Amino acid sequence: MTDATQTPRARLALLRPGSWRPLAGLGLAFAIAAALIAIAGANPLTAFGAALSGAFGSPGQVATALTKATPYLLCSTGVALCFRAGVINIGGEGQIALGGLAATAAALAWPIADPFAATAAALAAGALGGLAWAALAAVLHLTRRVHEVLITLLMNFIALLMVGETLREGLGEVGAGFPQSPLLPRAVWLTRLMPPTSLNVGVFIALAVALLAALLLWRTTFGFAIRATGASRRAAAYAGFSVPGVVFGVMCLGGATAGLAGAVQVMGVQYRLIEGYSTGFGFISVAIALLGGLDPLLLIPASVFFGFLETGMAAMQRQVGVPSALVGVIEGLVMLTVLAGTASGARQARV
Amino acid sequence: MRGIAKSYGAVRANAGIDLDVEAGQIVGLLGENGSGKSTLMKVLFGMVKPDAGGIVYKGRELSGHDPRAALAAGIGMIHQHFMLVEAMTVAENVMLGWDAAGRWLKRGAMATAVRDTSARFGLDIDPEARVGDLSLGRRQRVEILKALMRGVDLLILDEPTSNLTPGEVAGLFGVLRQLKAQGKGVVLITHKLHEILEITDAVVVLRDGTVSGRRPTRDASAGDLARMMVERDVTAALPRIATGRGGAPLLSVVGLTVAGSAGDALDDVSFDLAPGEVLAVAGIDGNGQSALVEAVAGLRRPEAGSIALLGRDVTGASVAARVRAGLAYIPADRGMTSLVQGMSIAENLALRDIGRAPHSRLSWLRRGGMDQEARRRIRDFAIRTAGPAAAARDLSGGNQQKIVIAREMDRRPRVLVAFQATWGLDPGAARFVQEQVMAMRNAGHAVLYVASELDEVLALGDRIGVLCGGRMVAIVPREAVDLREIGLMMAGHPGGEVTA
Repeated sequence: MTDATQTPRARLALLRPGSWRPLAGLGLAFAIAAALIAIAGANPLTAFGAALSGAFGSPGQVATALTKATPYLLCSTGVALCFRAGVINIGGEGQIALGGLAATAAALAWPIADPFAATAAALAAGALGGLAWAALAAVLHLTRRVHEVLITLLMNFIALLMVGETLREGLGEVGAGFPQSPLLPRAVWLTRLMPPTSLNVGVFIALAVALLAALLLWRTTFGFAIRATGASRRAAAYAGFSVPGVVFGVMCLGGATAGLAGAVQVMGVQYRLIEGYSTGFGFISVAIALLGGLDPLLLIPASVFFGFLETGMAAMQRQVGVPSALVGVIEGLVMLTVLAGTASGARQARV
Repeated sequence: MRGIAKSYGAVRANAGIDLDVEAGQIVGLLGENGSGKSTLMKVLFGMVKPDAGGIVYKGRELSGHDPRAALAAGIGMIHQHFMLVEAMTVAENVMLGWDAAGRWLKRGAMATAVRDTSARFGLDIDPEARVGDLSLGRRQRVEILKALMRGVDLLILDEPTSNLTPGEVAGLFGVLRQLKAQGKGVVLITHKLHEILEITDAVVVLRDGTVSGRRPTRDASAGDLARMMVERDVTAALPRIATGRGGAPLLSVVGLTVAGSAGDALDDVSFDLAPGEVLAVAGIDGNGQSALVEAVAGLRRPEAGSIALLGRDVTGASVAARVRAGLAYIPADRGMTSLVQGMSIAENLALRDIGRAPHSRLSWLRRGGMDQEARRRIRDFAIRTAGPAAAARDLSGGNQQKIVIAREMDRRPRVLVAFQATWGLDPGAARFVQEQVMAMRNAGHAVLYVASELDEVLALGDRIGVLCGGRMVAIVPREAVDLREIGLMMAGHPGGEVTA
């Protein structure tokens, strides 16, 4: 009886039913987007053509898309680890902002001459900034039993306001007329790979983090504990894992990668901290984490896709004249359709 | 009801049951968990379609009905868990889903009607009270009131006293006497003997889906009823070699007290497990069984008392430390506890040993080692599967339980705690589990075997413990087992206290 009932389903499971559903969601999102473009008075084919050439038309445009993808990949990796453990951390937004703040503060406070040491110190400060913010949320969640969604969401607002306040007071550039920090010392600038584009070595940092996360998740006992905790906390406790320990651990990891995303953005693209520099990064990263099926390696194409989506849409807006809000609409559509697709596949998901 | 039969798969829940209830009569339906009481009543109330048999109610054939039709005909059922909206008042709950209440809410008229009915049956219910503020006993009366106002003449109560305090039980019985006096028929489902003796006019005892006895209550004694409820063939010949049962205890539980809701708490439980013995614990579900096994396994912190494993105190030790010290645990729930359904068989076989060779080294998983170990266990324990990479959820219940058994036994534990280990398994798979348990005992290890099936407890145990209300009311050596007494103690009847 076992063999008869199990073989076809086992084969289906090997195809990983979760993996094609996000793609189906993408298709649906673009179909709806095409209709919206038509309603906006443009030819959808022309518009998508403009988007394609805007995204892939020149090496510089590709580089721009990859630059955009870098913080997304870093932050979504942490989000994916949290979601794998069943912890809905949507505090990426605030953790990125504080990561950027911490990296800026460290770079300005302790000028180190050696570029390598200076860069490493500022990156570490960024990661620690995000980690500390996430750890605070984790402690409140675990000891006071505040729901993690609520606490990570609300702490975003505090973090963003903290960054704004610091830029208006201590860290702000005198006479800039805009809440931003002074230029960071050259020693912490991340090397540009393709001047004049902003593409920098941060993209390799992001790739390395995604690879490390994949190793952690699939190849270590802690990753095993993460997957067990996400599937069933009772089973994880029965297996002998400390569930609060796992929750605390993944939230710290998520905070660290988000903080690193902020640091890379500040040190590689802007060379200074600017208020609102990371608006939306944290939430887009949640969409990317889900689009990539919470698999750190699949987050690489998912992040790159969002990078190209944004550059392509910007080009579409310039050339075809469709409203710029359509970028946000399409991103939202992708998130909705992918979520709808993966939710119906969740019962069969492997962990 | 005549010749009611209902099967779920291979399990015959009801096999040709007859039941008569007259107006102004309270009939007790007595039996263990799984004896078919609830199925029979679900058939009557139209929640389940019988495979065979018929129902005649007030001279009318009743078939193919659903609960709504049953209610319209005058049959009401009070479930163990109440179907009330806590945020609403009593009157609002009465109106809810009742067509006769009309499309417009007539609060005033309804409140008056509630007050009238309440007074007529001595229910003492305030129509304006918010249900969430009422005690469980009062909420039950609201359910009874709902049924009465809908014109119910036959009321089924499914284990109505399980959530009530003794005072509330007395109150409920007062209400039932009122109903009887006004010509209503009542079916009382219970496994508590004293309730049967106190309130019913006639009693029907079910066992394994058939009627094992029926008589007017005045002709019945508690001993009789207990025998009818639990007696069965206990000659299952499991291999049992003499182990001597000597030596220091492998597991010592002293004064173990676990806080929890009623039925999920433990009160001052003490016992020793000697090498080479099975202590099998009987009891009706919800008498502290999960509190006991989870406290021993380390999943729940006891409030008081101590647990020693092989002479070492492990009361505050983690789950992982207990596993390392030689404790194996088979939980009742395969869906969410003992297996991670979405993980592979290999990962599930390594679930509680992931931190050691051959599954990992220095925190790095060794896929090859896990795979090899899994293949060996799949072979040794005859788990029927496509291979170690298949998901646990794709296996049958019996094969899933074999994963748990393989993982827990292959570690060579000294003490095994098993809870409902054969629950939901077909006879072959259940037998496999029992043989593994006996093999462990015969090898000189110790087993704490908690189950609600009495014949299983009797077949496996060297000593039989009885849990009731969170207390270990007795531990009796196998040779001295008196079925009547065990039945009485399970049902919370003060029987002769025998301890060994």
